[in-house]
Amino acid sequence: MLDRRDFLKGSAFLFAAPAIFGLAGCGSSSGSEAAAVTWDGKTFKHGFDLDYRPYSYLDDNGEIGGFDVELAQALCAMNGWEYVSVPFNWDAKDAELTAGSCDCIWSGFTINGREDDYLWSNPYSDNTQMIMVKADSGIATLDDLAGKKVGVQTATSAYDLLNDEEGQKALADTFASLEVYDTYTTAITDLKAGAVEALAIDVTRANEAIANDSSLVLLGEALGSEQYGIGFRKSDTELRDLVNAGLEALAADGTVATIAAKYPEIEEYITLGK
Amino acid sequence: MTLSTMLSTMAIGMLRTFGVFSLTLIGSLPLGMVVALLKKSRFAVVRGFISAYISIIRGTPLMLQLLVWYFGPFYLFGMNIGGWRFPAVILGFVLNYAAYFAEIYRGGIESMPVGQYEAAEVLGYTHTQTFMRIILPQVIKRIMPSITNEVITLVKDTSLAFTLAYQEVFSLAKQISASQTSFMPFVIAGVFYFVANYAVEFAMSRIEKALDYYK
Repeated sequence: MLDRRDFLKGSAFLFAAPAIFGLAGCGSSSGSEAAAVTWDGKTFKHGFDLDYRPYSYLDDNGEIGGFDVELAQALCAMNGWEYVSVPFNWDAKDAELTAGSCDCIWSGFTINGREDDYLWSNPYSDNTQMIMVKADSGIATLDDLAGKKVGVQTATSAYDLLNDEEGQKALADTFASLEVYDTYTTAITDLKAGAVEALAIDVTRANEAIANDSSLVLLGEALGSEQYGIGFRKSDTELRDLVNAGLEALAADGTVATIAAKYPEIEEYITLGK
Repeated sequence: MTLSTMLSTMAIGMLRTFGVFSLTLIGSLPLGMVVALLKKSRFAVVRGFISAYISIIRGTPLMLQLLVWYFGPFYLFGMNIGGWRFPAVILGFVLNYAAYFAEIYRGGIESMPVGQYEAAEVLGYTHTQTFMRIILPQVIKRIMPSITNEVITLVKDTSLAFTLAYQEVFSLAKQISASQTSFMPFVIAGVFYFVANYAVEFAMSRIEKALDYYK
């Protein structure tokens, strides 16, 4: 399938073809050679999904919050950087990062399977993909999912896992169907309403949903496990090193533990400083 | 989140939506007229360019155009697009709506009987005078219902700015609905769009009445 970036590039060329031919005609050499975008050293543009509780979301006061957001703000305060929030659409994250509207992807972002795609910080949180069902569904093991409708959010690690031959593709093939959602919020509503019978979901996101609705449960068996990190442009080694050092300092002085304590559903999974 | 917090958070989004709406109208209503007139240009190159522009704009989804305007500068010229989000939204909307308005204007202009031009010439009007004093006032009256249609569509189309993660009222409604597991933000957004369009309808019907000076 056509990857989004190629699609964007293709459509950009389609639109700008007259302009490019015009430039070429004038003997200008400027063209599609993309200059490397790098961090400016002063502002820290934090790119994140505004719909990913409890890492980054709109809090009860209508302001951006979450573990990742608070940690990023603490990091900026310590380093004297200006914090700029850049909420983006999750499926456009690569284009946003490459094109420089943000300096990092930091939003419960899974390293595993993307090791070579970004310059990674040290992992700061563990995560496990689980299956969430309604308590009265009669589904108790992964084998029980055969012939069932299962939901997942697009462009998430659970989604990748279920589509990966070396991951859980074999299991996914036993499902009646795999329903792909834009957000877990919609997916969870559908699970409660019975439109799907199970969801493949990150354990932290699932715990958050279960805290709101006790009729949901997780299966004992995990689908897979992985680690969260911060993804940078490959050219931004300096920024990555500063962030790694900064996070260690924040772990050492107890700031990380203080922030983590505000998010009990993920506290035990935070590995920074442990 | 209390209802009042929800409303005050979404009010910011409503202001942004209104910003997109008004800037789009301010840009595209005059630009549409320029485009309509250029389409009748004496020069074949200009006519061809304008026809291609209108075809491309009308033939592709606005959502895709917005993505192109936003990410295009990077992919084509390697430019850093930090801070380009809002200008890209406005550019995309203005160029899109100008194409539609241009066709509405053209329809109005071409509906004028040729006899009026002949009469004006006999009376000694120049081309510019004929257009500005005789043709245009009638065109405006005639195209008002179509313009109203487009403006109402624009109010609802502003929600497409969410494609570029611009935090207008619809994006905010989605995010608040997600974080609060509540359907209320969508109800608020729905009421907002309806009230906004009701205001547009009311204003436009008043303008139509005011223009109806021969009845």
